[in-house]
Amino acid sequence: MPSRAPALALMGLIVPIGLACSAPGQDTAAPRDEPATEEDHGKVAGAAELSEPAYGLTTVDPSGVVRHLDLVEGAETGIADLGPATKVQTDGRFLFVDVAGGVDVVDSGVWTWDHVDHFHYYRAEPRGVGRLTGAGPSNVATTTSSTSGGTGVFFTETGEAVLLDTAALADGGLTERYRLEVPPHEGLLVPVGEHALLTEPGPDGTPDRVVALDPEGERLPGAAHRCERASGTITTRVGTVVGCADGALLATSDGDRLKVERIPYPAGRPAPRATSFAGRDGRPTVAALAGRDRIWLLDNRQRAWRLLDAPVALRQVTAVDDDDEHVLGLTVDGRVAVIDGVTGDLLSTTPPLAAASLGSGVGEPVLVVDQQRAYLSAPAERRLHEIDFRDGARVARTFPTPTSPLFTAGTGR
Amino acid sequence: MNGMRRTLAVRVGGLLSALLVGATLVGCDEASDGRPVIVVSTNILGDVVEEVVGSEAQVVTLMRPDADPHSFEISARDAARLRSADLVVSNGLGLEEGLQQHLDAADDDGVPGFVAGQAVDVIDYADGDAAGTPDPHFWTDPARMVDVVDGLVEALAGLDGVDAATVREQATAYTEQLRAVDAAMTSEFAAVPAARRALVTNHHVFGYLADRYDFRIVGSVIPGGTTLAAPSASDLADLVSAVEETGVRTVFAESSSPDRLVRALAEEAGIEVDVVELYTESLTAEGGGAEDYLTMMRVNAERIAGGLR
Repeated sequence: MPSRAPALALMGLIVPIGLACSAPGQDTAAPRDEPATEEDHGKVAGAAELSEPAYGLTTVDPSGVVRHLDLVEGAETGIADLGPATKVQTDGRFLFVDVAGGVDVVDSGVWTWDHVDHFHYYRAEPRGVGRLTGAGPSNVATTTSSTSGGTGVFFTETGEAVLLDTAALADGGLTERYRLEVPPHEGLLVPVGEHALLTEPGPDGTPDRVVALDPEGERLPGAAHRCERASGTITTRVGTVVGCADGALLATSDGDRLKVERIPYPAGRPAPRATSFAGRDGRPTVAALAGRDRIWLLDNRQRAWRLLDAPVALRQVTAVDDDDEHVLGLTVDGRVAVIDGVTGDLLSTTPPLAAASLGSGVGEPVLVVDQQRAYLSAPAERRLHEIDFRDGARVARTFPTPTSPLFTAGTGR
Repeated sequence: MNGMRRTLAVRVGGLLSALLVGATLVGCDEASDGRPVIVVSTNILGDVVEEVVGSEAQVVTLMRPDADPHSFEISARDAARLRSADLVVSNGLGLEEGLQQHLDAADDDGVPGFVAGQAVDVIDYADGDAAGTPDPHFWTDPARMVDVVDGLVEALAGLDGVDAATVREQATAYTEQLRAVDAAMTSEFAAVPAARRALVTNHHVFGYLADRYDFRIVGSVIPGGTTLAAPSASDLADLVSAVEETGVRTVFAESSSPDRLVRALAEEAGIEVDVVELYTESLTAEGGGAEDYLTMMRVNAERIAGGLR
């Protein structure tokens, strides 16, 4: 971009002139009538702060129509029409949709900012952001922020790893911070603060290590961490988890420094390893299946695993990590099971809500949790269910959908 | 000057020409008067600094009315102003997350800074995930704002171009107003029986007010819109037990649907409460009810005392 350097130089010249000429006393709390460069790109414009979360379910149907169900109002609106999709991943605001030719990014327009001591909630216009070009299936790794940092996209068939600038997505644009290429494998590019972890394959073609990258995508010297058959990643308030054959890596970023710790599986209780993690957005304890009959709970804060016997055979599991340590599962017959995360007792179950979906293979139901409610999509049944897990797994609301909600993302989170 | 700018603007095009026109609009028709420039992060502190410094300096407040001090962002021009200010006044204690990199840059450039949070007796968050970390919301206690003014006046008096005696006089006058608000709040709250001095709230900012006026903060989950759409008794249990335990008739909460909340509490739990909002982290725009810090404090005190009497 040849014009960029002179433009910056000129801005350097001009800004001080503006400063020297500031009107005395006129600027205090006054509306900005000068062009604020960051605001020209819509970062603030159109985003309203809300007094409570704008939870939603954003769905993609078999023909690629994206719809948003506002769970506060109970109203559904169309957002985009992308064409047939094969996979949808989310950070609680953006949808990353695998389509022919790459990954389409859609902004649901609702998100939460976790300040640890409290939260802020936002709503803006939903919109299609654009297409990240690439081939084949993608694995997307996100952070707890949908307005800053990076989002990692790994194309498993080509080995291309792209770090997207998340702040640019929030501004409505696709900006690749870098694009790297490694041998194709079932890999991950995982953002951790300004750094990232990239999986690399061993001789058998499965990932056997992660390498640490600096903000420009350059390998940090000596920073490879053994992680055999790396699979599954999630970011909590504490840090970023990557699943390995013998435990998990927990990566944290302290500004300039990236720290990677290892949380080995407990000795003496062999169980299938975790290959994917799920939990309430940001919460330190996350859940993973250990086969169908057991549940791993990984407490990021304590750096410890706990193995629970599942009271029923499960197909999916997620942790609410509330005061009662609720764990929710999707049973193999399509019910939502509410499980005591301390004892493993079955507290309650819903009726079968997604049996036809599981039986027909139309699409995998999605289970999303927040502090008060859980949501289950039932693609074959064309239903979205709201479940009150603290009240006997009561089905609080059911929303019929006009077409099959083949993929569902919990948004506003 | 203007001729040169036009030439440049034509050559560089859209963005820059917009920037130049903007600069002309706000700037050079009113010449700089040589007074020192004080850049303040939050609008609450902006108000306090203006009261103390008066016309002795130009005060530029970065955070707009009705904004969020944690996350507001500034323009490139404001960032440059920060770095060329004669004094930067910030809240500190981790409040200005979105601004911190700019504050650090100004500090690195050697711009003198006054961090209000360093002038007060800091308390920690009592509970939640942030328990044990410093609570940055000291302004909910006007007595602590007196400590801020005491520190601030020294920073201001030392600025070139500022008449120290004038600033000290103004600081004394403003301190008297702060003390008057403190006294008014004390007497407002005196009407609330000790047993009912409890704020059942989902706000996280009233730790200092509680510390000063002997209130208990009873943090509670306030059910939101998705919960209230089809509520059950268990959804309200946390709030109901907080209300029953404290015996209060008013809940201080931000809620997008306070009417639905009041109705749900009456129907599901048989309790009658009001839901009242308080001003928390920002002054409001004109007509919003908390245009300045002293008003914000008075109005909150009236609402709290009125709700708990």
